[in-house]
Formats: sequence, C-alpha cells, structure tokens
Amino acid sequence: MSARAKAFAAAILAAALALTGCQAVKQGAADVLASTGKVSREDADALVRTAETLRSTFADITEEEEYYIGRSTAALILSKYGLYRNDALSAYVNVLGTAIAYSSERPETYGGYHFAVLASDEVNAMAAPGGFIFVTKGLVKRCADEETLAAILAHEIGHVAGRHGLQSIKKSRLVDAFKLIGGEAARQFDSEELAKVTAAFDGVLGDVVETLVERGYDRKFEYEADKLALSYTVRTGYAPDGLAAFLRGMEEDKPAGPAAGWFKTHPSAAERSARVKAEIAALGAVPVKLAVRTARFAAAVKPVR
Amino acid sequence: MRILARPTALAVAVLVVFAFLLAETVAVQVKTTSVRKDPKFTSAAVAAIRAGDTLEKLATQSGWVKVRTKSGVVGWVHSTAVTAKKVSLTASGKTMQTQASAGEVALAAKGFNKQVEDAYRSANPNLDFAGVDRLEKIRPTAAEIEAFLKAGRLGESGGAQ
Repeated sequence: MSARAKAFAAAILAAALALTGCQAVKQGAADVLASTGKVSREDADALVRTAETLRSTFADITEEEEYYIGRSTAALILSKYGLYRNDALSAYVNVLGTAIAYSSERPETYGGYHFAVLASDEVNAMAAPGGFIFVTKGLVKRCADEETLAAILAHEIGHVAGRHGLQSIKKSRLVDAFKLIGGEAARQFDSEELAKVTAAFDGVLGDVVETLVERGYDRKFEYEADKLALSYTVRTGYAPDGLAAFLRGMEEDKPAGPAAGWFKTHPSAAERSARVKAEIAALGAVPVKLAVRTARFAAAVKPVR
Repeated sequence: MRILARPTALAVAVLVVFAFLLAETVAVQVKTTSVRKDPKFTSAAVAAIRAGDTLEKLATQSGWVKVRTKSGVVGWVHSTAVTAKKVSLTASGKTMQTQASAGEVALAAKGFNKQVEDAYRSANPNLDFAGVDRLEKIRPTAAEIEAFLKAGRLGESGGAQ
C-alpha cells in the first residue's frame, strides 16, 4: 500500500471512528482493510489505533462520569452545610428550577436537575456537575420575589450547561485519570486499578469542591452564567431584572473585612450588575413581573423568613 | 478483489461498511427520560426510555429529535438526551445485557462509575450520599411543571426550546 493510499484510508477511518467507539466496529474496519490484501494485518490494526481519539480534556468526560462526579460533589456539599428540610419549599424550588432548566440549552443531563435548600445562613449558591443545584437558606431569605430566585437558579443552571465545574479540574489530573482508565469503552476495574482510579476521583472532587466552595469560578464563567441566566429566565417568561436587583442588594450590604461565602466566590456585584443592566437594555421587549408569582413565592419561602 | 485495488475503492468499501453499521439511529445518553408526543417538555410522555436504548431518528426540529422506539412508538426527545456517538457503545451494551445482569452492565460503564463511587463511599462513610439519593428522587412531573407555568402566567412565549 502506497503512503498516499495509507494516509487516505487513515483519514476515512478517522472520520468513521469519530462517529463510533465500538470495538466490534474497529475490528470490522481492520478486517476490511486487511482483507484487501493491500495492507498487512499489523498495518490495518495500527491504522485503526491511530484513528482512535484519546481522551484528554474536560470535554471528553462522559455524561455518566459527570453524573458520578456530581453525586459525590453533592454529598460533600450536603455534609458541609446540611439540608434545610421543608417538603413544600423543596417541591417549590424543584418545580421552579426544572421549569427554567427546560428553557436552557441543556435541559437533559444523565441524572437530571435536582434543587435543594441548604441549612446555612451564609448567602451562597452552588451547582455540582450534572445538575445538583444548591441555594442556602440565607440566600432564599434575601430574594424579594420569584423573579430573583428564578434568576439565581438560572445562573447555577448556566454553570451546569456550560460545564464550568468540570473545567475547574486540573488538566494534568484529568490526563492522568484518563491514562489510568484506559481506552476501552466499558470495563470493571480490578482492586489495584480501583484504588488508583478512586484516588484520581478523590483528586477530581477536590478541584471541583475547592472551586465551588472556596475559590469561586473563573470570572469569565460568572459573567457567562449571568448572561445565560438572563436568557433562560426571559425565555421562561420572567421579568429580567431579578438578577440585577439581587446584585444591587448584595453590593449595598457588602460586609467590611475579609470576604466570605458568596462574596468570596463571586466577582464584584457592582461589576456584574452593570453588565447585566447593559444586556437587559439590549433585549428589547421583555416579560413583566406579576403579583401572582410574588404571592406564591412569599407563601413558599415563609418558613425561612 | 480487483475492485479494491485502488485506494478510492477501498475507502468506499470502508464507508459502506460503516454506513450499514451506523444507520440513522441515536442512543439514549441519560439515565431515564420520556419520548414525548410533541417537541416540548410539557407534552405527554408516550414511551419511557433509558440509557443505552437505541432509537430510529426520523427528523429534527429546533433542539428536538423525532424518533421511533424499538416497539414502534413515534414521538420526540430533546437532542441533549441522545447521542449519535454512542450507537456503537449500545451495541456492545446489548451484548453485555444478554450475558450479565443489569447491575453488572451499570458497573461496566466507562471510567468514573458506580464501582468507583462505591469505593469512594466506603472510604468516606460520613458523607451524606443518602441525602443525595433522596434529592434524586424529587422529580417534578410534566403536569406539575405545566400547572406551575400556567398559574404563574409563564411559558406563554413558548418556554422550552
């Protein structure tokens, strides 16, 4: 087989394999190549191997892996803050959040979206990968109306849709984890492998939780989530000023001294609020705030007031 | 084998094989979801589908895919619930399903999977996974969402894309 023919066959294979990851298909492709008699068995296998894409970035994390990273992240957050138990409030937050998620560009994730109120007076909101979204009791208390809580949940949905949490995993850690996991489509680990992969998993969770709880996302992700929040809420039918109003309130009440909670993990509320205002101005006609929503919001959040 | 002597013929043969293997199918990439009557989330569910199920792709429309299930039910799924990529994975999944229990299939998922979570959990017994399991059980129904939207006079501009 000439070098040109080989390169051509490799390009076709790369395109075909980009659509599949199946061992049987790969084997089939190698068989077809080898059966021509123009390519040796060894060459055929090598061509197939080269055409396979190796996993290297956060974008290569599967939906199911994201779900498992999200579940453990959620367990760590729940253990740190504790769940605020109130079935009616929980039902309200879940129906509100899910309705907004349906207006996002990522309405379906492996395990779906789930919303919970944390038993903390600190003002904070967090999104674990895959769709576990948390708001603290302290944050809910600060929301004036349904438009505001909707905007906060939409912002967190924006982090999930943009896979921002996964992007906080250190690149080198991910590359090492993918090497450990290997190229097979599906497998069960033996005990030695399991210990190593679990250690890698622990490291991944460390990166994600540190970003969610301690360090905060990169500024550009916060601005992106604000922008997404605006579009999701307006698409759902909410007046767009919930987020701006919340940010203004936070700026006015900014405590003196070292930042904690929300103030520590988020960029300046004044800067965000200015950006959001400019984006709202560019929207044109938008829905208006309705008393019927503010009334049901007030009833739902009464226990935390 | 004269027809395969030239690289173009070889390439065509390879593509024909792939076209046959891939067909116009998509695979479900979320744990569970519904095929819906119309292309919107508040529409009635006509079939329940789960990760790995293959669906015949019939058409697409602004973020939604019209599909036919194995049992012949036609309806819509959101494009984020399915993937063209995993068709192959499903093929191997099906083989596994005939050889192993459903639990073993779940364990055999790629990379960070249930097996890894179980190991992490037993090393960190104080973490509130039970709370996470409880959270996962809360899933508002399409009817509840629709009632919520209607009562709040929301979703009148079409809501979900």
